[in-house]
Amino acid sequence: MGDHSSASYIHMVQHLIEKCLTFHMSKEGCMEALSKHAKIDPVITSTVWNELEKENKEFFESYSKSKNEEDRMSEAETSELIQKLISDSSKDSKE
Amino acid sequence: MLVASSLRDSTSKNNDTEETIVGVDMDDFPGGSLLEYSIDFDELFAGLDEDPDALPDLEILGDYYSVSAGSGDERGQSSDDGNDVVSGSAGSPFGSGSGLDTSSVCSPSEGAAVVDQAEEVGAKKDGKEHQGHFGKVKKLAASAAKAGRSSKTGRGDGKRKVKVDWTPELHKRFVQAVEQLGEKAVPSRILEVMGADGLTRHNIASHLQKYRSHRKHLIAREAEAASWNQRRHLYGGARAGGVGKRAGVSPWLVPTIGFPPPMPQPLHRPLGPLHVWGHPSGGHSQSNTMWPKHIVPHHHLRPPHLQPRPVWAPPHPHHLPYGPSQGMPCYPSPPQRFVAPPVPGIPHRAMYKNDPRAAAGQPPRLHPPLDSTPSNETIDAALEDVLAKPWLPLPIGLKPPAIDTVVGELQRHGVPQIPPS
Repeated sequence: MGDHSSASYIHMVQHLIEKCLTFHMSKEGCMEALSKHAKIDPVITSTVWNELEKENKEFFESYSKSKNEEDRMSEAETSELIQKLISDSSKDSKE
Repeated sequence: MLVASSLRDSTSKNNDTEETIVGVDMDDFPGGSLLEYSIDFDELFAGLDEDPDALPDLEILGDYYSVSAGSGDERGQSSDDGNDVVSGSAGSPFGSGSGLDTSSVCSPSEGAAVVDQAEEVGAKKDGKEHQGHFGKVKKLAASAAKAGRSSKTGRGDGKRKVKVDWTPELHKRFVQAVEQLGEKAVPSRILEVMGADGLTRHNIASHLQKYRSHRKHLIAREAEAASWNQRRHLYGGARAGGVGKRAGVSPWLVPTIGFPPPMPQPLHRPLGPLHVWGHPSGGHSQSNTMWPKHIVPHHHLRPPHLQPRPVWAPPHPHHLPYGPSQGMPCYPSPPQRFVAPPVPGIPHRAMYKNDPRAAAGQPPRLHPPLDSTPSNETIDAALEDVLAKPWLPLPIGLKPPAIDTVVGELQRHGVPQIPPS
């Protein structure tokens, strides 16, 4: 195990994690996804995530805040959405 | 000239020396005659005597010498380097902690002196490979080092050694004098204002130079930090707590996706890199019907504080503030949804990464579904993309952790080897 291979592996994991971040995934979601799709040990994902978080505290703070809000909003929005859909479709069917 | 002849005599080995140290050009010396500079050769060569191949200890100087040896006009360079060196070797006043500590700080004049006299040094001690370009630098280092340490080693013979200790106190007086004089802050006047006895005009001159260069540096850095801070605030910094200035770059601002211009208002949602904006292919009207399904995923793009509204107000073609050059995708409800006009601009720019895919005519599958859990296929596709093309830039560009740290952590968690075999 040379330094380079570790470095590039870690880099790859970071890259994958960042992808997950663009999907607004949670850390657990990310661990699962990487394990499932990229065969990366969740422990590794978790560790790299943690280290990234340490190096980018602000980003992650912001990230988790927005994530919380998003999660909270989603229910209200979902139901509203559905209602609109229903009313729209019923309108459509009338026309 | 003073140097040339002796050099020529002594260095038969090294052609470089002959070429380069030919005559000392007085113009290169920052003001003052050679005689003003003194160098204690005893000190300089003390250590060198034992080992003819030994180089003066450069470590002391730290970043004093970031000089590269190999350039054309050596003398010019060395003079410049002398200046750089001088500015780089700030003692405590400038807080740039380089190798020399305050107590034995090499006086700037000495620094300059050293540079200029490197040639003499070179002349004296030959047979060293580094005598050419390096020679000057390293001799310079040596003499600076030795000079700096003279107080400790007690080797200084005191003759014409101008050693100024720029204590914080002294520096403060200096700064005050400079500020007082404003534009007229020339060494001679500063000296007058300071009324410091032990200082020569030359000391002041060098110190002034250092000071100015340091200030420029600070200002440049501050400017950069300010601009980063501005952006950071604009991009969710408000929620991030408006953290105090950081010269570092927030990850928000380093997306490889490209970043839109600063927005007038802070966004409550971190848009930009995190948001994958779809780009429906055709015109708005066409995509309208499709959108209902796809807009749903976009809901999260709305600033949370907005009243929930129908996600798609039917024709929204009217004005996307930025004059949609190309169907601003997720704008089913732009004007209503977003706090500020510029907002749509963000996705627009931030999107280009996804454009090719979106342009394929499919509504972006990249958008997380309503419950904000991205679809499996989407994720899979994205991750595979990364695996297949590791050279692609990082989507967000977070600051990477130190490899050693990560490896250490992993080992602690029972992962001895990465990549795992």
